[in-house]
Amino acid sequence: MAKNEIICIGCPLGCRISIKAGKGTRNFELKGAGCAEGKKYALSEYQNPVRIFTATVLTQDKSQPLIPVRTSKPIPKKLLKKAMLDLVNLKPKPPIKIGKVLVRNFMKSGADLIATGEWKT
Amino acid sequence: MALLETEILIVGGGVLGCAIARELSRYKVDVTLIEKKPDLGWGITKANAGIVCQGKDTLEFRPEYHRSKLLWNSLPKMEPLCRELGVPFQTIGGVEACKNLEQKGKLDKLIKRTEKLGLGKDEFHWRPELLLLEPDLAPEIIGGVYDPEIAITDPIKLTIALGESARKNGVEVLLDCEVENIQKQGFEFLVRTNQGEIKTRYLVNAAGENIDKIARMVGGDDFVLFPVKGLIGILDKKLAGMVTHLIAVLPEQPGALNIISPTVNGNLLFGIPIQINRRGDYSSTKEMQEVALRNLRGIIPDISDKDVITFFSGFLMMQNFEIGWHECVVRMSSLVPGLLNASVGYPGVSAAPGVAEEVVEILKKEGVKIEPDPEFNPRIEPIPDFSALDDQAREKLIKQDPRHGHIICRCETVSEGEIVEAIKRGATTMDGVKYRTRAGMGRCQGGFCGPRVMQILARELNLPVSEIRKREAGTGLMLYESKELIKGRMAS
Amino acid sequence: MKLEGIDLAIIGGGPAGMAAAIRAKESGLERVAIIERGEYLGGLLDQCIHNGFGLFYFKEDLTGPEYGARFEARIKDLGIEVLLESMVIELRPDREMVAVNRKGYFRTQPKAVVLAMGCRERARGSLAIPGTRPAGIFTAGTAQRLVNIEGYIPGKEIVILGSGDIGMIMARRLALEGAKVKAVVEKLPYTGGLIRNQVQCLADFEIPLMLSHTVTYIQGNDRIQAVEVSRVDEKGEPIPGTGKLIKCDTLFLSVGLLPENELSQMAGIELDPLTGGPLMDEYYQTNVPGIFAGGNVVQVHDLVDNVSWQAERAGEYAARFVAQGGLRKRARITLIPGRNIKSIVPQKISPKEDVEIYLRVERPEKNVRVHVPDVARKAFLVVSPSESIKIKLPAEKLKKAALEKEMVIDCLPKKGD
Repeated sequence: MAKNEIICIGCPLGCRISIKAGKGTRNFELKGAGCAEGKKYALSEYQNPVRIFTATVLTQDKSQPLIPVRTSKPIPKKLLKKAMLDLVNLKPKPPIKIGKVLVRNFMKSGADLIATGEWKT
Repeated sequence: MALLETEILIVGGGVLGCAIARELSRYKVDVTLIEKKPDLGWGITKANAGIVCQGKDTLEFRPEYHRSKLLWNSLPKMEPLCRELGVPFQTIGGVEACKNLEQKGKLDKLIKRTEKLGLGKDEFHWRPELLLLEPDLAPEIIGGVYDPEIAITDPIKLTIALGESARKNGVEVLLDCEVENIQKQGFEFLVRTNQGEIKTRYLVNAAGENIDKIARMVGGDDFVLFPVKGLIGILDKKLAGMVTHLIAVLPEQPGALNIISPTVNGNLLFGIPIQINRRGDYSSTKEMQEVALRNLRGIIPDISDKDVITFFSGFLMMQNFEIGWHECVVRMSSLVPGLLNASVGYPGVSAAPGVAEEVVEILKKEGVKIEPDPEFNPRIEPIPDFSALDDQAREKLIKQDPRHGHIICRCETVSEGEIVEAIKRGATTMDGVKYRTRAGMGRCQGGFCGPRVMQILARELNLPVSEIRKREAGTGLMLYESKELIKGRMAS
Repeated sequence: MKLEGIDLAIIGGGPAGMAAAIRAKESGLERVAIIERGEYLGGLLDQCIHNGFGLFYFKEDLTGPEYGARFEARIKDLGIEVLLESMVIELRPDREMVAVNRKGYFRTQPKAVVLAMGCRERARGSLAIPGTRPAGIFTAGTAQRLVNIEGYIPGKEIVILGSGDIGMIMARRLALEGAKVKAVVEKLPYTGGLIRNQVQCLADFEIPLMLSHTVTYIQGNDRIQAVEVSRVDEKGEPIPGTGKLIKCDTLFLSVGLLPENELSQMAGIELDPLTGGPLMDEYYQTNVPGIFAGGNVVQVHDLVDNVSWQAERAGEYAARFVAQGGLRKRARITLIPGRNIKSIVPQKISPKEDVEIYLRVERPEKNVRVHVPDVARKAFLVVSPSESIKIKLPAEKLKKAALEKEMVIDCLPKKGD
């Protein structure tokens, strides 16, 4: 897949949409989209690809070694690998309920890192 | 280990070595058994099909041959032995089938000879009668000989129980103990192992796949045996009942088997095509799998490839076909005094009790003081089999130990209690638990119970989960802990 | 907690079991009990730490544990009885069942049963991959439990066989945890899972996707050391001479899910060979009166939302069965899969009410229309085996068409559009 080609994930068609910068910084030429939703997705994915980041954090508690976590909203895709490294240093303490914010403004992304599982004392 | 001194050292913890150890434990003689793998029965024994028979179904069976004699004496001992040791034993009967008149001719010869030797009169049954026994027989089968005495057992459970009984009666059993070097010093052998040195007067070499290597270490190999690999397939339990007897068809390949048989675990087993192979190479090839499946459909056509839950291979040590693969090696070495080599080929399990007794006789003749030990206890209480018990027995078991109410392996209905007991009795690996309890042998092949068995092993052996192995060293399951790889990247 | 006198027993406490239990309790049943063999409710949800759950049911993008927690909270509020680490080992056609846990051995006969046992993964043995049997081979779901719940990384050089969703999700997971995922190998010429996962799990991490390939040999005596990967032809047969060795220390298998119906068979329940699950009617009742089923035990679902919705129906009708002492017998139409339709659930429906049916196609196709003759038609730009299709069949249309005993449902190319 070429750098300026996006696979649309909206439906199983998986249209391959090619994007070329048109005249000026705000114009783009799109080819290959099967529907309007696809065009919207391709544009946003090209300009600012984001993902919800999900992972686990170590608890040092033998009875429950991990807590699952995620970002409260999608964050820039390029932050994902470094996000894992940041998690290594997290040392959460129980009790933790689902939704508890573990890190505010995680990776300066504007999204929080929240717990998606419980950790009882 | 400081220098261990013993009178009889048995090298090899397979079904023969353990049977010999157990037989010797009836007497007041100092016996040590060493096994190089972490558990008993993981060599040739592991891939044994578990069929208890005389081998009189083969044209090579003649009472004057040593092996045939051994088998003939051994067979009646199998059932009482299994009962004493709490090992499954089921008499299922067997059909030796043929597909054409030429093959029938061979069977007729067998029948005549068996009768001539006074071993009983077997009868040939034509197809319509055979169909009453096995309704799904392939159309090419025209008839066969029925032997109602054919039985099945669990070869690894038997080996483990023999080892346990030997140990209970005073034999020292050392696992993970591999021979590196043997020297003869006067009347004694000095055996160097990875755990230290053992000095022994007599060396019983029952090392299976490695019998020739061990004998050669001290110049005592007066035999030629070579490794032959066979492939076995196991079918899904849902086919249980489709075949209720051992069915054997005369194989195209000499030395091979072409069988399908129920197992004591309720599966069906089939095989066993063979090929001469490099030792230690347990791989199975697509070609061999296809041969096994093709042969299978030649006996029972309605079985599909999809019903296979696993294939595995194992080895047998055989003599040259031309010299006569019917012979076996159970004798003092003619090259080195004090060395007894023991290898039996096929059928190994059935011959074990006979070989064990023969070995004792041979050692007696050599001058070993064989004095019965009045404290010998032949019985072993087996690990309770939750899945086979009735309601009342199950309730009782759970009351005794609540862990029997916690089912870990759902495919085979194995409880935590059984797994803990298996570990208490010597299982230190996933396979060790599997062979003692069947956990992981079922349909999902350990997909569900695997992680849980790992945790139980770690807990009972007080080891980190990362040190729990499937079997030998190097088969660790979990190589890293969470975040370990990332931390490694961060450090570099 | 006594098992005696319960109205409804639900076997399995995952997303199906929980949804069925909640709906049954809300319908007024007094004693509803979930019998779960694991250590906690939620089934596989707790190990699915990725998002994509509840997009339709809750209209939120949740992770597996969060989705499960919503149901667990409701179960607590409603006072539904829960037996954990308890396994049903016997089920009979008269609904007599045996459950066992550390406290003892219980024989009981609830007034109705909902089967919610889910699926198991297809194991290596049934693939008969030639080679050795080393350590380091895991099914993807087992690996997921080990990585996400127990906290272990099985290895650092991974090959994944099968591009179903679980395989692709584990590819991403292991890549994030620092392992090198060398390839995802898929026998078909297209992935078995969602395009979304192809992009966000494989493309995002530059993990090669080898379509029309399969593993033809496993190497390594003690620990897996390498796999041979070969191309396959249109029939899926490996092409000799195309084998390439990929060095690895771990192999994940994501090669199919099978509804787990051992108990169902014990109870004499008829199964549909096309789904691997029981033959259902619109009550989500099996052919054994009083035994209902929902979720992955009926058919492999790709959306957990559908699992819960389907199981709710089973719970509702099971409650009605208990309250009324039975469900009215109805004349039913048998739905037959036609062109490019692999399976249909429920397999038999009555024209007495609106019914939502689930269909799976056999192969991907573009520009099609699914035809339920004289009842409904639904057009699709594309259909794929990895995404099940839901179609609502209105009762009035069914009544008219109900003169037939059987109805064939086809997936036909749209003409002219």
